[in-house]
Amino acid sequence: MIAIWLSGLLRRRRARLAGASVGIAIAVALLASLGSFLAHSKATMTKRAVQGVAVDWQVQVQPGADPVAVTRLVAATSGVLAAQPVGFGQTSGLTATAGGSTQSTGPGVVVGIPSRYRATFPQVIRSLAGTPDGALVFQQTASNLHTAPGDTVMIGRAGLAPVRVVVAGVVDLPQVDSLFQKVGAPVGAQRTAPPDNVVLLPSSQWHQIFDPLGKARPDLVATQVHALRDHRLPADPAQAYTAVTAAAHNLEAKSAGTAVVGDNVGAALDAARGDAAYAQVLFLFLGLPGAILAGLLTATIASAGATRRQVEQALLRARGASARQLLRLAAAEAAVIGGAGAVLGLGTAAVVGRAAFGTARFGTTSATAAGWAAIAAGIGLAIAGAAVLVPARRDLRERTVNAGRETVGAQHYPWWARVGLDVGLLVIAYLVFHATSRNGYQLVLAPEGVPTISVSYWALAGPALLWIGAGLLAWRLADLLLGRGRPVLRRVLRPLTGTLAGPVAGGMSRQRRPLARAIVLLALALSFAASTATFNATYHQQAAADAQLSNGADVTVTVAAGSTVHPAAAGQLAGVNGVRAVEPLQHRFAYIGTDLQDLYGVRPDHIRDATALQDAYFTGGSAAALMHTLATQPSSILVSAETVKDYQLRPGDLVKLRLIDSRTRQPRLVEFHYVGVVTEFPTAPKDSFFVANASYVAQQTGTDAVGAFLVDTGGKHTTSVVHRIQSLLGPAATVTDIATVRKNVGSSLTSVDLGGLTRVELTFALLLAAAAGGLVLALGLTERRRSFAIATALGAKARHLRAMIVSEAAVLAVFGLTAGSVIGWLLSHMLVKVLTGVFDPPPSVIAVPWAYLSSVAGIAIAAFGLASIAAVRAARRPAVSVLRDL
Amino acid sequence: MSGRATGQVSVEAQRDAALVTCRDVARAYGTGPMAVVAVSGVTCTVRPGARIALTGPSGSGKSTLLHLMAGLDTPTSGTLAWPALDGHPLGHPGRVGVIFQGPSLLPALDITENVALPLLLADTPENEAATRARSALDRLAIGDLATKLPEQLSGGQAQRVAVARVLASRPSLILADEPSGQLDHEAASMVMDVLLQASAELGAALVVSTHDPVIAERLPVRWTMCDGRMDTAPARAGLS
Repeated sequence: MIAIWLSGLLRRRRARLAGASVGIAIAVALLASLGSFLAHSKATMTKRAVQGVAVDWQVQVQPGADPVAVTRLVAATSGVLAAQPVGFGQTSGLTATAGGSTQSTGPGVVVGIPSRYRATFPQVIRSLAGTPDGALVFQQTASNLHTAPGDTVMIGRAGLAPVRVVVAGVVDLPQVDSLFQKVGAPVGAQRTAPPDNVVLLPSSQWHQIFDPLGKARPDLVATQVHALRDHRLPADPAQAYTAVTAAAHNLEAKSAGTAVVGDNVGAALDAARGDAAYAQVLFLFLGLPGAILAGLLTATIASAGATRRQVEQALLRARGASARQLLRLAAAEAAVIGGAGAVLGLGTAAVVGRAAFGTARFGTTSATAAGWAAIAAGIGLAIAGAAVLVPARRDLRERTVNAGRETVGAQHYPWWARVGLDVGLLVIAYLVFHATSRNGYQLVLAPEGVPTISVSYWALAGPALLWIGAGLLAWRLADLLLGRGRPVLRRVLRPLTGTLAGPVAGGMSRQRRPLARAIVLLALALSFAASTATFNATYHQQAAADAQLSNGADVTVTVAAGSTVHPAAAGQLAGVNGVRAVEPLQHRFAYIGTDLQDLYGVRPDHIRDATALQDAYFTGGSAAALMHTLATQPSSILVSAETVKDYQLRPGDLVKLRLIDSRTRQPRLVEFHYVGVVTEFPTAPKDSFFVANASYVAQQTGTDAVGAFLVDTGGKHTTSVVHRIQSLLGPAATVTDIATVRKNVGSSLTSVDLGGLTRVELTFALLLAAAAGGLVLALGLTERRRSFAIATALGAKARHLRAMIVSEAAVLAVFGLTAGSVIGWLLSHMLVKVLTGVFDPPPSVIAVPWAYLSSVAGIAIAAFGLASIAAVRAARRPAVSVLRDL
Repeated sequence: MSGRATGQVSVEAQRDAALVTCRDVARAYGTGPMAVVAVSGVTCTVRPGARIALTGPSGSGKSTLLHLMAGLDTPTSGTLAWPALDGHPLGHPGRVGVIFQGPSLLPALDITENVALPLLLADTPENEAATRARSALDRLAIGDLATKLPEQLSGGQAQRVAVARVLASRPSLILADEPSGQLDHEAASMVMDVLLQASAELGAALVVSTHDPVIAERLPVRWTMCDGRMDTAPARAGLS
């Protein structure tokens, strides 16, 4: 009996089965794609986190312990590939004489590095000028001392005579904070800033200078063993973190108190596991609604044939079929739909994976991809069961044979509408959202050093409840407008349907439940697409802003340390092909109290010609307003929030900074007035800094020397502009572009291939919108072929049928698009707010991808159009043959 | 091969002109050895005011012949014409009224809308269509069903609504395909009463396909179909 039934279904109900299978396929493909993507993302995060660490372990040799023994112990530790001892000696100060004047600094650190160190740990030191061998001076120190390669620097030693070294090169220490960390100290006890004065010496030279000091003052000399570890770790950042920290603890235990491990790779993985948790949240936020939507789509498609199934079921029951037999038939139908959908969905996922990532496995392992495929297929089968088997079972229990013959059905108000669940959900959504805002939208809490991660999945409830509540409210409104609004509908449809306006409006009104379901489905699909696209667009906007903050502009030319370049040089750069604007940016160092901070001198009226300043970077006024203040009150200054707090500053307060006067080469007091807070600024570090008027700084310090030039290329051809500028200026200047920086900055979450996720998400959102529009309409119209055939037999001409079909499509499109737009707008704002933690820097405005949204609306309308055209063409068949076939 | 009325005819001639003429009409489904011939070599004429019972066993081609006469189907050979209708029936909604064998009401429309639909399709103003629909329902004593939905009616009520829908458009020719097939004896008799009375009032020709001899007895002319062929000579057909 099952075989006969399935054979009949396959022959006579192909469209309905295919439609439901397509719905399942979308759900399966989406879950399989996103699941594999998530696994791949986590593996990428682990890889990138580990790659970004310059020194995996900094093992501090404890006072009194033998550095050689500790080095041997570290080298013998499982997973360690290389271990080298590094000396750290405290200097009482550095002195240099250049250009007839002598510069002195405060205390600093002299580091002794073995000969193979730079080859083993290539990310620790970056050469800026001179040769890589010999005494190397840190960039900021070179700036303080006005030294260049070939100059001589005196290294002061407490209680001993200073030692003279010749500067071989100037270097940058990209991970200076990590290098000079207090190993073993808790987060709060770490240095607030790395030392400003650093000299690096070859190991042998360092020992000559600091071994005597170590004997006299052992507290001023220390040894660390820097270790390179094997980077083959578990793919999941959380598991990798656990493995690495366990190994570090094991080493400490073995060392019996002679060594403390500074676990840099563990710290990087600690951050990555938080990002992995965010990726998981994103997966839930972006993937789950899609899967739910695909499930709803399947249920709607299946319910398009529910009337027919109920009639068939009633007939079978009337002819003696038992409930068990009917359930078996429904189960067989669900299995066919689910099985076909799963196969189609997994095939689609493979194609999507190949298109988005170049591999059907989404870059993850075969086992992981297979696991996600199995999970997705299982969920697909469950959706099929819920869409076909559950209604059949409910009908068997609740409907009588006679009721089964009804085709339009009684229009009972559903229970949730009677109790006002939709409004209740919206209120709860607002309350949850409000509660989430209290903790600053912190979704993921991964306390440093603590192995467990806490993810606030509760925060997900806000957008989820908004989506569901708004969908139900859309159903209520559609039901209301199509029911009680029938006279209005009749008037609106009259231009399209003429004398048939009454029956067409009446028909829609009586069939408003399936229409309302279709409207809600379309609205949910569109809002899913809109919120996903808006989130992605905002994410990319902020990633671009982050890269621009780090690089300064599309292209940034950094002046070589020790050289003096005047703002007029901007004219030379402005002539380079592809350059739209050039802006000089002063970079100085200024003391406030005992703190040394970066100071950026800007031309307030022009700075925004070359770089973007978001309002979110400032407090106390918009970017435009504060730049205007800097321009009109040249002595005004913007300071960091931390400085405002530390020095209890209030707007208008006098701020006295010590800056180097180029005329005397001595620090001089310069008076500024605090006018606002700056939290982010192009090229500025994450910690404290100042922004002031460049003309005022130049006037006070006697030089208009520029630290960098910000170059705007309109975001285009940055790489070629870099090459042109580099060939113009030669190797002395450092030229960087935003595209290169974007690859190197940001969290591991930023570095995940969100482009791939975007493509997957947005493609599925388009598919869902098209399916929710066209497929549902087409199946609804297919179910009414008999009505169209009867109308044709009664004299309906093509224009009448066209008017009936187009009216329904228009009502669905207008209601669905309107509801989808409103829900999408609300959801986008809430989603971006709730996911604030993902953005760096947080957005001041959301980015609306109008082109994509227009294409989604266009595709939905096109799907309606195609479904209508197909229905009109089908309705042109001779009425008798249609009636005979049905 | 469907024919069209040609040339101008006078009003008098048009009144006497045949409503439908079939000349050697055949309808086959499919092609080749698998083809099923539903109607073969049928020649007949239906004139104004005719009362014809089209009888024959199930599958003999009665319904197919009625559909051909209504213009709902196209013959595979032979000639079909509607001289009195000034063209194909589908071009003049309401001139030929068809009562189908099975349920033929649109489930989403209420009874008044169902009855008024052919009038609206013929561009009758909405108010007039509604008035005529209610009048037709009243004539069949089912005015109380006006606001109900088809699914709320019994089989007999639905068939009477279908009759009312035909009457409302005041056709020249009524083609009823087993109008009492799903009804009990009493209801079938009532439907026939209504059909005969209405066709008399409207002056419309009536062709009723049936395999019920009691129904057939009530019509003066009988055509018999067997295996797609009509036994009756065309000269006898259509006489009032």
